[in-house]
Amino acid sequence: MYPAKIDDYSRPATIAEAVAALASFGVGEAMCIAGGMSLMQAIKSRLVRPACLVDLQDVAELRGIRGSGGALSIGAMTRYVEIAGHAPFASGPFAALRDAASHVGDRQVRNRGTIGGSLCWNYMAACLPAAVLALGATLRLVGPGGERTIAIDDFLIGPLETARGEQEVLVSIDWKSAPARSGSAYKKWGLVKDALPVVGVAALVTLEANGACSAARLALAGLTAGAQRVPAGEAALLGSKGDAASLDRALEAVCANVDLHSDHWADAAYRGQLVRQLGRDVLTSAFARAKN
Amino acid sequence: MKTINVTINGTRYEETVPVRMLLVDFIRERLALTGTHVGCTYEGVCGACTIHLDGEAVKSCMLLAVQADGHEITTVEGLAKGGELSALQRAFRQHHGLQCGFCTPGILMNMTEFLVHNPTPTDDEIRQGLIGNLCRCTGYVHIVTSVRAAADELARTGGA
Ligand SMILES: Cc1cc2nc3c(=O)[nH]c(=O)nc-3n(C[C@H](O)[C@H](O)[C@H](O)COP(=O)(O)OP(=O)(O)OC[C@H]3O[C@@H](n4cnc5c(N)ncnc54)[C@H](O)[C@@H]3O)c2cc1C
Ligand code: FES
Ligand code: FES
Repeated sequence: MYPAKIDDYSRPATIAEAVAALASFGVGEAMCIAGGMSLMQAIKSRLVRPACLVDLQDVAELRGIRGSGGALSIGAMTRYVEIAGHAPFASGPFAALRDAASHVGDRQVRNRGTIGGSLCWNYMAACLPAAVLALGATLRLVGPGGERTIAIDDFLIGPLETARGEQEVLVSIDWKSAPARSGSAYKKWGLVKDALPVVGVAALVTLEANGACSAARLALAGLTAGAQRVPAGEAALLGSKGDAASLDRALEAVCANVDLHSDHWADAAYRGQLVRQLGRDVLTSAFARAKN
Repeated sequence: MKTINVTINGTRYEETVPVRMLLVDFIRERLALTGTHVGCTYEGVCGACTIHLDGEAVKSCMLLAVQADGHEITTVEGLAKGGELSALQRAFRQHHGLQCGFCTPGILMNMTEFLVHNPTPTDDEIRQGLIGNLCRCTGYVHIVTSVRAAADELARTGGA
């Protein structure tokens, strides 16, 4: 489909200029464009009709992965291809980001799509919202009223809904420190390889010296609530050493506490089976990654 | 309307375009470079419109022409140098990597960049790399063979 009419286009070079560009239009009239991998579809289908696009491609401050002494900051405009290729994410607490980013769509989509765009769009079956939710990040936003930070749990409200003000720019996704002895993973299943998932599972586990789980965060993608944590499943993981029986018990608790819906892709029973199977794989690799 | 400057296959163009004009339409309709194809309803799912933007494979139906302002683009017309087909193009001809050929420009653009990053791919990696390109004819077997043959040829000759 051909895009709806767009009156204006601007390409700021700094965050301040981007905020000023958004603020120069009425609320809801101007929209940021990052990779455009969701927004262009929405403009073509007339789901949104922005009068102006503020293109963030030249804002260098929004790009890149910066880590120092356990702290990590990922610029909102960092693309999937960069996260997928970031060697420090091969294991440990941030590995779920690489798992997720390296299987979004296809190469061409990963060359354009950004982590910030995925979080701001918050599609119900998107991969990065669930992965970042499991990792418990803090998001930095700048708007007309200045800068603020917000926990990812509070930022993601529901499918296609976030706590971002319409004139705010998402700047970065941050972690103050990397938890010790921790590992994470993400895995999804869709109708074709690397498609938007029917179900995606993300988890972060922290282990005691004896290998028992002392903290866990578990998030799902693809159910009616969109990216969601499952506290009952997290609680059931405490004390587990990653053995199949205890993981399966925790995943039963997950299934019992979420809305497993039926649609033309998968019925409720199959969705439950996907949560169990993907969950078993994800938790097994999160435990393994926490150990090395 | 916005005035943009883009370099396509080495030629600089300055054109005034509506903001909503898709890059693929700019390339095909405005510049008449019709090697770049449209194989779906601009949904970003078929990959026939794949071009290089600053050397990276992207789907040109998912970009606006104004987003390409100041950038360098290569289309399938730019792969052959001085009338000589690239190693990948030669391999597709030799190994029957196409039937109707509609998907071929997008596959060539995607796989040209893929081979830069992964000059010694496994067949599985080639298949993973092709996820964004739909071919409705071949069943992909000869496409994978062609990409493999081009990788071997490039390894032997150490380049283009
Ligand atoms: C063929 C195809 C396959 C796909 N497969 C998958 C998949 O398997 N898994 C998956 O998770 N996703 C998939 N996607 C969606 C893809 O991940 C999108 O790239 C992503 O959802 C949006 O990121 P973007 O950078 O393209 O953002 P855009 O589309 O440019 O923007 C999305 C929204 O976020 C806003 N925005 C973007 N950046 C900022 C910012 N810094 N501050 C404020 N607002 C901002 C925009 O205004 C817009 O509302 C697929 C897309 C395509 C086309
Ligand atoms: S025309 Fe189908 S992906 Fe662009
Ligand atoms: S050769 Fe006909 S679509 Fe690929």
